[in-house]
Amino acid sequence: MLSGLILLPFFSLIILNLPFRALMRRLSFGLFQCLALAQIILVLSPSVFLSGSSSFGVDRFFKFNLINDNLTRLMLLCIGMVLLVTVFVCRYTIKGPSERFNFINLLLIALIGTNGVVMANDIFSLFVFMEITAVASFILVAFHKKADALEAAFKYIILSEFAAVLMLTAIALLLFICGSASFPAINAALKNSPQNFLIMPAIGIFLCGLFVKAGLVPFHAWLPDAHSAAPAAVSVFLSGLQIKILGAYTAIRLVTSVFGYSRPVTQILMLVGSVSIIFGGLAALRQSDFKRMLAYSSISQVGYIFLGLGSGSALGLLGAVFHLFNHAVFKSLLFVNAAAVEAQAGTRDMDKMSGLAARMPLTGLTSLLAGLSAAGVPPLAGFWSKLIIVAALWISGHYVYAFAAVLGSLITLAYILSLQRRVFFGKIKAEFQEVKEAGFALALPALVLAAITVAVGIIFPFLAQMPKF
Amino acid sequence: MVAKMLVLPIIIPLSAALLSFAIRERFRRVQAAISLSAALLNLLVALKLFKTSFEFVLPWAGFGIEFSLKSQHFSNFIVLASAGFAFLVCLYSVAFLQYRKTYKLFFAFLLLAVSFTNGAALADNLLVLLFFWEGLLLALFGMIAIGNKGAFKTAIKAFIIVGISDLCMMLGVALTGSLAGTLTISKINLPLDGLGSIAFTLLMIGAISKAGAMPFHSWIPDAAIDAPLPFMALVPAALEKLLGIYFLARLSLEMFRLTPASWVSIMLMIIGVITIVLAVMMALIQKDYKKLLSYHAISQVGYMILGIGTAVPAGIVGGLFHMLNNALYKSGLFLSAGAVEKQAGTTDLEKLGGLGKKMPLTFICFCICAASISGVPPFNGFFSKELLYDGALQRGWIFYALACAGSFFTAASFLKLGHAAFLGKLGPDKEKLKEVAAPMLFPMVVIAFLCVIFGVFNFLPLNIFIQPILGSERLGAHNFSGFPADLKLVAVTIAVLLAALLNHYFGVKTKGSALKAVDHIHYALGLSAIYALAEKRFFDPYNLGLKIARRVGKIAFCWDRKINWLYDCFIVNLTFALSGQIRRWHTGNYSTYLVWSLIGSCIITLFFVFSL
Repeated sequence: MLSGLILLPFFSLIILNLPFRALMRRLSFGLFQCLALAQIILVLSPSVFLSGSSSFGVDRFFKFNLINDNLTRLMLLCIGMVLLVTVFVCRYTIKGPSERFNFINLLLIALIGTNGVVMANDIFSLFVFMEITAVASFILVAFHKKADALEAAFKYIILSEFAAVLMLTAIALLLFICGSASFPAINAALKNSPQNFLIMPAIGIFLCGLFVKAGLVPFHAWLPDAHSAAPAAVSVFLSGLQIKILGAYTAIRLVTSVFGYSRPVTQILMLVGSVSIIFGGLAALRQSDFKRMLAYSSISQVGYIFLGLGSGSALGLLGAVFHLFNHAVFKSLLFVNAAAVEAQAGTRDMDKMSGLAARMPLTGLTSLLAGLSAAGVPPLAGFWSKLIIVAALWISGHYVYAFAAVLGSLITLAYILSLQRRVFFGKIKAEFQEVKEAGFALALPALVLAAITVAVGIIFPFLAQMPKF
Repeated sequence: MVAKMLVLPIIIPLSAALLSFAIRERFRRVQAAISLSAALLNLLVALKLFKTSFEFVLPWAGFGIEFSLKSQHFSNFIVLASAGFAFLVCLYSVAFLQYRKTYKLFFAFLLLAVSFTNGAALADNLLVLLFFWEGLLLALFGMIAIGNKGAFKTAIKAFIIVGISDLCMMLGVALTGSLAGTLTISKINLPLDGLGSIAFTLLMIGAISKAGAMPFHSWIPDAAIDAPLPFMALVPAALEKLLGIYFLARLSLEMFRLTPASWVSIMLMIIGVITIVLAVMMALIQKDYKKLLSYHAISQVGYMILGIGTAVPAGIVGGLFHMLNNALYKSGLFLSAGAVEKQAGTTDLEKLGGLGKKMPLTFICFCICAASISGVPPFNGFFSKELLYDGALQRGWIFYALACAGSFFTAASFLKLGHAAFLGKLGPDKEKLKEVAAPMLFPMVVIAFLCVIFGVFNFLPLNIFIQPILGSERLGAHNFSGFPADLKLVAVTIAVLLAALLNHYFGVKTKGSALKAVDHIHYALGLSAIYALAEKRFFDPYNLGLKIARRVGKIAFCWDRKINWLYDCFIVNLTFALSGQIRRWHTGNYSTYLVWSLIGSCIITLFFVFSL
């Protein structure tokens, strides 16, 4: 059944591109929606994964060795959710049927790639799925073929391929040392020969590649350009999902079950994470482009995930995964709002806007909720994940990093409030008098995501049992 | 059944007060009727309660806090006295406040004050006492605030001064409770050692500030000018004195065993004489009828505190008797001031004169009360003061001498007041003046009559009211009724009074006017400068406190600006500079970005290599 999550999008992709293009164009949107929804439902229904064997019998033809644990299931949920939102936004912002068809094809490839990344059980498949996702992302960024988007995509390709080179090198080294690419084998080999001269550099090089994919400082430079120049729907996918699946999830998976928490690994993770938090937050503070500010904010928030992971405790890991989920929710929501504002007001320059909450109350309210969740204001979901991360750092004795996390939270609040003040609060300008709320396609995801943020925040303290990974 | 009667003195005025708040402004007569009948009913209940001894306990809040009331001789006496004054002032106010806008509120607050006074007097639990004590502050605030234009500011002043001292009392209650292990007043019996004397001092601050002693006095002269006059006759002149001295006496007689040897006794006597002398010196130079009286209201408290502070039977009996007498003649004097204000339209002594012919009954009542307060035999003030002098002399001649000096200035200032207001030439616009109406006259006459009775037949109040308070154990074989035993003291007192008369004669002769009769003291060498400063409120603890608070506020504000600069300017500018720098680094040049990534990878890889 698990393999179906890769195979179904794959066959859908083939079917969509068979003849009957006109028919397929009309079907494509619904098909993708169904796939994403099916993924969410599958993940949320517990019995499916318990029956290990596939009911379709595909395993007979395709021999997959996939991971099936709670972390993967949570990631699959995030993927389904964010891609569903993405396709809603694309329906609203990409009008042409043929363009939309192409877009959905690319999204399908991204779906295959991200699903593969979170289920892959060996380091080489992981790399392949990462590159599948990355290639789809390059094209998605440059989708409208505008100058800035092309330039951003070019930068993205350069840095992403730099990361690919790093990771391939590391994989080669690991294969050379361990003789196998599967996670358990590498883990066992690392335990057998911890003092091997090549292991540590290999891990370091691989982590560098992951940092590029996750957009951490100083490997982040592609991210603000790519995320802000990309079409609105693509930004939701990239910021809400892609960097976290390719960067953060992979790091969590590899560190917990392959590399292990060795001292240099945790130190580097925490250092890079906290530098990213502060640096990204400070950079976001002075942006006047709505989406660019959000892109820098993503750098800062992904830093929290790495910081939590680097604390080396189970609590920190819980915080990191929880924050990953929360970030997927609130950052997607913020980019949906950004799409709504850009579509309705016709600009992304925050200095030109003012008082839009009067004309777009739903967008204003949901973006405020998402922003406060990002800043870690109780009782929203982001508060709990940040609290857990800070508590984990404090308990494990990393006081400076805990302080950095709190400081980063303050900076987050500063830029979020600055965003709200510039875009939504205050008196409405004359040229925006006629602005209306964006349509159903944007309002529905915004409402659902805001509801998730609030509900998770309120329910979380009552959850007696924490999810185990 | 009968024990529940104890709640009546609290419930009756309280419900009448709430009813008064609810009645519409139009139905003045209904409201006056309700207030008067409530006051009368209260008086009857108080009479009925007198000579009884009940306990009423209602479990209230846990932690040893019970709503417990206890009627005993002293409490009953206070309830009876305050009920009497409340009824008289109520009657007086009906006529006095006839056309005032604040008519309704005044009666409501008056009844509220009576209710809370009764509650505080009957309370047998320190917290219950505190509750009613603070409630009285509320009524006080309300009654001052409904006065004329500047009244609200004065009300705030009174509220802050009394509030601060009540805060001390709260601490005292807490400390006493923890020392004694109980909050029930009748069960507390603490020695006056280290912590015990601190607890006593804190509670005492609450008691004497309610009574209006220095340095908690400065709102009273302001209130005399701003608040409605019957308020002055009832609350600062009667209710607060009764209550404050009642609590002070219970503190020093029951809860703590005050002995002449303790330093607390000396402290009380010092507070007493300072209050006597300084307040009477201020009273001497006042040129306003009400304001002059208000300083005497402060000064007389000094005698009571001095008397209780002596801790000898003569002094204590004298102090308590003086409490009763003072309430009588001070109320009478304020009521006469009200009569003058009502008829002449002013209480400024420069505009008054010759009223004696037009308002003979008021003048007679004034004369009796003034003679009482000055300590002229055979009026009641004379006898209580003689007892006080006796007690003070037993403790040290300096206290006696200062108390006598106080008497001298009291007599001098009342000679000046009476002469300036009631004798002399009648102003040309005052030809049509009449005597006041019967409802206003009646309370004055009753009070003046009591002043005479309590003086001539002083065994009545002493044996019925005062001496049982001490009990036979403390009193011993003494009986202080009748004419003072020590004739030497009487001779000194009469000499002091004659000196005051001579001084007045001298002043009038040299300055040619009754109003300027004490100017030779006012402008005496050294004194005039001090007086000038005092008139500017230089010595007012409230104003001093305000000045200090303002200084502290200024310093705090400067400090706050500095902190504000740190947060609002420094951090913001630093953040903006940093973030601007970061923005400048992002040139958009991909080769730069590639170099960053390369350098980063090299550093991380090297870190891993060297961590082996």
